[in-house]
Parts: sequence; structure tokens; C-alpha cells
Amino acid sequence: MSLVTELILSADSEARYPAPKEIRIYQDFVKTGEQRIRIAKILAENEQRIVQNGSARFWERCPNTPSNCGNERKTASCQRDQGWYVRLIAYSILAGSERPLEEIGTVGIKEMYNNLEIPIRNIAECMRCLKEEAMSLMSEEDGAEVAPYFDLIIHSLS
Amino acid sequence: MTNRTNGGSPVTHPQAFHTVPTAVIAEAEQRDRYPKSSELKTLSAFFESGQKRLEIAAALTQNADKIVAAGANRIFTGGSPMAYLERPTDPIGMPGSRYYIGEDYLSANVRHRRGKGTSITQFKEPQSIDSTNTLVDQIASLFAQGRPSVPSRFRTISIAKYGTARMKRSMRDLAWFLRYVTYAMVAGDTSIITVNTRGLRGVIPEDVTLATVVALREMQWKAGQCLLPDSNAAALVKRYFEVLITDYLVEKPDDRLRIGVSKLHPGQPLPQSYYQSALPTPKLVVKPGLSETELQEAIRAAYRQVLERDVTQAYGLAASDLESKLRSGLYSMKEFVRHLGKSRLYRREFYEPFTISRVIELAHRHFLGRGLSCLEEFQTYFDVISEGGLPALVDALVDSQEYADYFGEETVPYLRGLGIEAQECRNWGPQLDLFKYSAPARKVPQFVTTFARAQKPLPDQHPYGVGNDPLEIQFGAIFPDETRHPSAQPAHFSSTSRRILISSGLQNGRRHNGHVEPNASAHLGRVPGLFGQSVFKLEPSHQPERGSHPQGPNVNLAHHSMDAVILGAYRQVFGREVFDSQRQDVAETKLKGGEITLRDFVRQLAYSRAFRQMYWENLYITKSIECIHRRLLGRPTYGRAELNRYYDIAGKAGFYALVDAIIDSPEYAQVFGDETVPYDRYLTPRGYALRSPQGPTAWGKPRHNPAIAGEWMAAQSTAQSAAQSAAQSAAQSTAQSASAVAVLDRQAEPASMAPSPVPNLAPEAAAHNGHPSSPPAAKPEPMATAAQPSEANSP
Repeated sequence: MSLVTELILSADSEARYPAPKEIRIYQDFVKTGEQRIRIAKILAENEQRIVQNGSARFWERCPNTPSNCGNERKTASCQRDQGWYVRLIAYSILAGSERPLEEIGTVGIKEMYNNLEIPIRNIAECMRCLKEEAMSLMSEEDGAEVAPYFDLIIHSLS
Repeated sequence: MTNRTNGGSPVTHPQAFHTVPTAVIAEAEQRDRYPKSSELKTLSAFFESGQKRLEIAAALTQNADKIVAAGANRIFTGGSPMAYLERPTDPIGMPGSRYYIGEDYLSANVRHRRGKGTSITQFKEPQSIDSTNTLVDQIASLFAQGRPSVPSRFRTISIAKYGTARMKRSMRDLAWFLRYVTYAMVAGDTSIITVNTRGLRGVIPEDVTLATVVALREMQWKAGQCLLPDSNAAALVKRYFEVLITDYLVEKPDDRLRIGVSKLHPGQPLPQSYYQSALPTPKLVVKPGLSETELQEAIRAAYRQVLERDVTQAYGLAASDLESKLRSGLYSMKEFVRHLGKSRLYRREFYEPFTISRVIELAHRHFLGRGLSCLEEFQTYFDVISEGGLPALVDALVDSQEYADYFGEETVPYLRGLGIEAQECRNWGPQLDLFKYSAPARKVPQFVTTFARAQKPLPDQHPYGVGNDPLEIQFGAIFPDETRHPSAQPAHFSSTSRRILISSGLQNGRRHNGHVEPNASAHLGRVPGLFGQSVFKLEPSHQPERGSHPQGPNVNLAHHSMDAVILGAYRQVFGREVFDSQRQDVAETKLKGGEITLRDFVRQLAYSRAFRQMYWENLYITKSIECIHRRLLGRPTYGRAELNRYYDIAGKAGFYALVDAIIDSPEYAQVFGDETVPYDRYLTPRGYALRSPQGPTAWGKPRHNPAIAGEWMAAQSTAQSAAQSAAQSAAQSTAQSASAVAVLDRQAEPASMAPSPVPNLAPEAAAHNGHPSSPPAAKPEPMATAAQPSEANSP
């Protein structure tokens, strides 16, 4: 579900042509297209770095956490999840909508981690670290685009 | 026997069509990777062409009428076809639209003119064409260049012969085609056209098809003309129309059939268009002679399907032995999947941590790509696993006919979710859950419990799950937050399920064998109603003109002054006393002067601005109807069937017609007549508690444990009545109940009735009834009596 899809669906449900306001939203979306692709590329290229540095920062703040308990398997699966969320954010940025992130990632996230007995608060903290790490890699303008998606994950964890 | 259960209804957003971004993202997501540079290039091109496409869409919108008129004029003769084109109606005026009421009286055009100042200049509303212009246009276009020729078989259609209804439909469709071309232009993808028009030919008679194609060709030409200075744009529009016409001409494709698991549970068809609109699922096939990257991709897909993760990436683990056998061609993909299922890793991840029932469910996801279908299927596999353990189960699944049909030897199994094939209703919720990434986090079996519940009677539960809300705040609608992350399972209510309404006993004496007794003296000496409700009735003597000819014997317990009656009417209709500014002075004067009946007075109150604002403008439609119904007719709606009728009225005729429909209904006339103020006829103890000052606690606590609600409230009310003196509780009960004013000549009884606890309700009502022969209306199945008026109404 991207911004374009949403726009068309809402116009179609009322059997009308896209309204001027919607067209303006869409124009903004199109204009920022290059920026979106640039951000997605930065995230794709630096995923490992974001995850590694983010983890290091996270362990500094929360030394007592499953991913830092010395069990390599746990560390690997935690870092896999972190990389996974970074990727979902890249999707969302490309689509201009939080739907992909929500549908694939955040619906039921809390229940899942509760079930796996991983402290929710630590994960939220970890996401914050990832966010800071990702923001430090890009310009302020790009960062402003990325931040809300991290915030969405953090919000759905709290 | 039809099985109506389902296992919950998680919200899904099926893909209706694709656009460039969704297609790129879905492709990347299914393969667990970032978009490739080639895909990013596609996206980039999409963004670059965006401005251009937007301009085209704006131009099409602006010339929409011209283009549609061109097409229509080509095929219709003898009149102005555009006169039959209906504009979409505005949603304004429906509940929840939150428009200021004054907007109702503004025409759409005026509103648009107002909004113009802020809209961007290049985008204008479609211009409408007057008929003189079209004629000139028509003549001019006759000599225009490049106009498409018509096939010789084609004959123009006479509007007069064709008929109004069919004309309207034709014009609607022509406008629709153009609108969808515009959407496709915005989306940058023709998928929306293909999904919606392929196979339309099959549903339309052959000669009409011919005419439609002629009209579409004409529209294509006209649209090109409108964009002419820009030849690229004209070519693009032409291409989109070409896709539309080609797809329109294709024969309707057959449904895709999903094969059922047994005779009891046959397969279901999935319309082809659903399949097309879904995002493509990569079906990876392992064949000899594949390149290394393709083989690697297929192996990773198999890992993701069977082990639910990319083992190589996550753990650095790999079944290297199995992989090499697959690469060398010793194993087919089917054997590879089988051995993955029997591997130590699978056992550790999906067998050891779970109960057997859950193991079977997860194994179905991994090896067949779907959830369990029915109880019989579960039993079969339960037998298998209890005799042979996990390896036997894996063998049974992989060797099954279904596996062979869908995946064969070479294909990697995939999830058969929405859009891939028809989904079953009875395992809808569990199946969607099972396809989620978080499925292994759930240890409790989900399908088996759902199937088991199917055999139990309807639970005492709100249709949309989440708690046993009392009737008073139960509106049969979906609340935004709860649907976003629905946590509970809905009960399997259908359109035929009806609410059980416990009568407050008020009308028990009035109705005898289903009709109103002519002589109201039947309940002489008894107090109507529980909970201190009193019935306000307009006496003939109140109104000067009517007083002169009294209508038969009029025996009443309560004598109220005119002001008390008016106040009671306000209380009932608005649910509270109104502010002075909200009083309907004109209507009051008329009522006092005898010009209108009380029934019309109630109607005037309901027509008022204040009422409309309270119960219509700011609510969603179901709640709005429910509230108005309860206010004016004194009872909740019976169920979905009744609500549907009101939806119809509200949607087609609006608020005032809805009020009229309720007040003019035979039920209103029968129960309240012209003289009585409507009263709550189905006040439940819990609803009553809701209104009391202690209300929120009174229903909040037992909410989590509805079974003890009755006891809890009984205890609560006895404690309450013990603490308070009789006078206090009398005053309180009058203040609490919505429709009661000072109880005039019978203070004692209502005061003691008020805190009547739940379990005693039925016997008390029966005792008050005083008719051994009359139907026991307060039994748990009062629907039989309560339903009668509404059934009698329905034509």
C-alpha cells in the first residue's frame, strides 16, 4: 500500500477524480522521489554499520539484555531483527506511507516479543539507538524523513 | 448443515491493483532484500515522469465531459446523451461528515467556487457542456483529422428507443472508463485498468460491446486531441486507452478453483481479477541447468518457507549436505523440503517447543502453504503423528496429493494466502495469523479450538468481540482502535441473529395476544414499569380543541400537567433537559394550543437543529441510527436486518426521512399513539446502572467478569438502599432515570423498585403482569412477542 494507492482508492470510493488537495500531496511525493531513493540507498548500504554501531551503543546503555548475554545465537537473531526493521523503514520511505512498516512489521510486534520473553523496554531503547545511528549518517533533511518511522516502531512498542 | 463460525476477523488490506512503488516493495519484501538498483531505477523513472503524468491527469479531468460527450455522441442519436450522466452525490449530510449544517443548503457548485481560491490553478473541476456547443463540436469533429472509423456492422442507437434507465447506465459506464484511465495515469501502471475491465465483455450483450468499443475509440481520439500540443502526452494517453480496449475485448477468464480437501469441504472459486490484482508471488523452481544465483535464491526461499528464516543469514548454519545433494541433482526440491522437515533444526524449532496440535498447524503452513481446513483433516493428521511421530507427519504432507498438485517435484512451496487462491471462511482468522512472521511465537493451537467452538451454541457476546458491552452502549459497529489491532474473537453473528431484549414490563399489560387492548383499564391498580419510570400522557383536557370531544374511557394513573409532559418529552428525545436556547418554543405553543398532537411535537423536537447535531452529525451512521431509534421508539434495534432498512432510508433520503420513518411506523402508533411521550421499553439493570451516578463503577467492574454481573449488582443495590433513606432514594431514582420527572402520586413504589437486581427481574415482571393467561413476556425469549410489531410492519 503506497501513497499513490491510497489516493486512488479514496477517490474511487467516492466516484470522483482526484481532488486538488490530493494532487498536491501527490506532487510533493513525486518531487521528493529522488530524496526517497537516496535515503533508501543510504539505509541499504549502511545496514550492517547501523546495526553494529547501534548494538554497541545499545549495550552501553543496557548491558543486561539477551543480545549481550554471550549467547551467539541470541545476538545473531536480535541483530537480524534489527536489520529487518531498518529494511522495512526503507520500504516505507519508498512508498511514502507507513502501511508497509505497519503491515509487515509493527502489528503484533509487542505480543511477539512478549511471547519470546524479550523485555519490550530494551527493544524500544535499541530502536532509539538505531535511530540515532541512522540519523548520524544522513543530512538533517533526510533524517527528518526517516525519524518518524523509527518513532512509529518505538511508539508501537510502548 | 451450514457452518457459520469463523476464527476471528483480522483486518486485511487486500491489494486492489498495483502501482510502481507497491510492486517494487512487494518484490523486495518477498525475497528479503533491499530493492535492486534496477528496481530503484524504475522507481526513479516513475518519480521523474510523475509531474508529467499528473499534468495529463489534470487535463483529462478538466476535459472529462468533453471526452465522454464525444464518445456518447458517436453511438447515440436523437437527443443529448450527456443529459443522462449523473454526477456523484456529495457525502455531505451523512452522519459523521462533520460539516456544518448550513452546508447542506449550499449546492455543490457554490462550495466548489468557495474552495477555488486555495486550489492550484492548473486543476479545474470538469466543465459541463451545454448542448448547443456539442452540436458545433460534433460538426467540427466530422471534418477533423485522424478520427477513427467505425466498423460497418455498427448502427447508432436511438436514445428514445434505448430507454432512460439503460441510457443512465451507459453514460455512467463511459464516464467510469475515463475515470479509470485517469487513475491509471496517476498510478503510472495499467494494472488498475486490467483488473477492473478484463472480462467485462462476458457480462454485456454482443451488440453493446461493439458500440462500447466504438465509443471508447472515439474517446481515445478525443482525449488525444485535448492533449495535442504535447505529442508525447497524447501518445501515452492513447496507449492507456489501447490497454483498456484490448482488455475489454478479452473473453472473461475462468475462475481459479481451489481444490477442496474432502467431499464435505469442497473447493472454492477465486475470480480471476482477484488473482490479477494481487501482487505476484515469485514461484521458484529448481531445474537442472539453473544459474548459481537462481539456485541460491531458490534454496533460500525453501529455507524461508520451511524454517521460516534464512538460516544462512541468521545463524551461519546451513544444511550443507542437503544443499550439495540438491545442487548435484541427487535430490529434487520435493526431497530437499522433505529432508529439511526431518532435520534436527526443524525438530528443535517447530516440534519440541509445541503441543502436538500446534505442530500439525505449523507443519501445514510449512509444507502445504495453508492452514488446517477442517476438523476431519486435523484428525487424520493427528492419527499420523501419534503413530509415527514428526517424520511420519512430514512424509504424509509431502507425499499428499495436494502437495503434488500445487508444487510438484520442482517448485519451492509458498504461502497460498490472499489473492493466490480462495480463502476459507471458517479458518480465516487463524490462517491469516498463521501466515504472519510471529506465528511460532504462539504456542496455543488456534485452528482446533476454532473448529471446536463451531459446535457450541452462540456465546453471550458482542458481535465484534471485546467484552460484553451492555445494550446501552452497544451499537453493532466497529470502533477504530479496536479494529486496528483486534485482540478478541468475534462471535459468529449473522444477519439473522437477533438481540434478546428483556422487556421492562411496561407494555405487558397493554398488549394482549399481540394487539393493544382497547380498554386500558386492564392494568388498573398496577404500576407500569420498573425502575421508577413514569409514562407521560397528554390528557384531552390539556388541549382546548380536543378536550371538547373526549375519546372513549380514559383511565390513567398519572395525571401530569402540560409542562410536565413537555419536559418529559424533552428528556426522552434529547436524553437530558435542554438549555433554554434549545427549546422549541413554536412547537410548544402549537402543542399547548392543540394545533399539533404530541406525536408531531416529538417529531418537531427530532427535526430540531440541536437533536440533529447531537445524534446525527457527529456520530457514525450505525450509532446514529441506534441512538435515534432508542430515543424515538424507546427500544434498541432488533438486529442487522432492521438496521439495514434504516441504512437504506438514511442513505437515500437522509436524516429527516429517517425520523419520519420511525415516528410514522405502525409500532410507534401502536405503542405510544398520538398522546404518549415515548419511554424506554427495554431498560436493563445494567443500562440503568450506566445512567446512575455510580454508573461507571457499577458496570465497569463486572465487565471483566460478566457472569457475576447480576450478583454484584444485587449486592451493590441492597447496600445502597440500606444506606439511604427511602426519601433520598426516591429523589435519586427520579433524578437517575432519563425520562422520569417527579413521581406524582406513587412515590413509594418506584423508589423500592428502582434498585431491583437482575435475577429478580423476570419474576417481578411476571408478578406485575397479573395475567396468568397472557404470554410471559419477560422470559429469556421475549423476542417472540417483542418482534411482532416489526415483523408485521415489514411488507
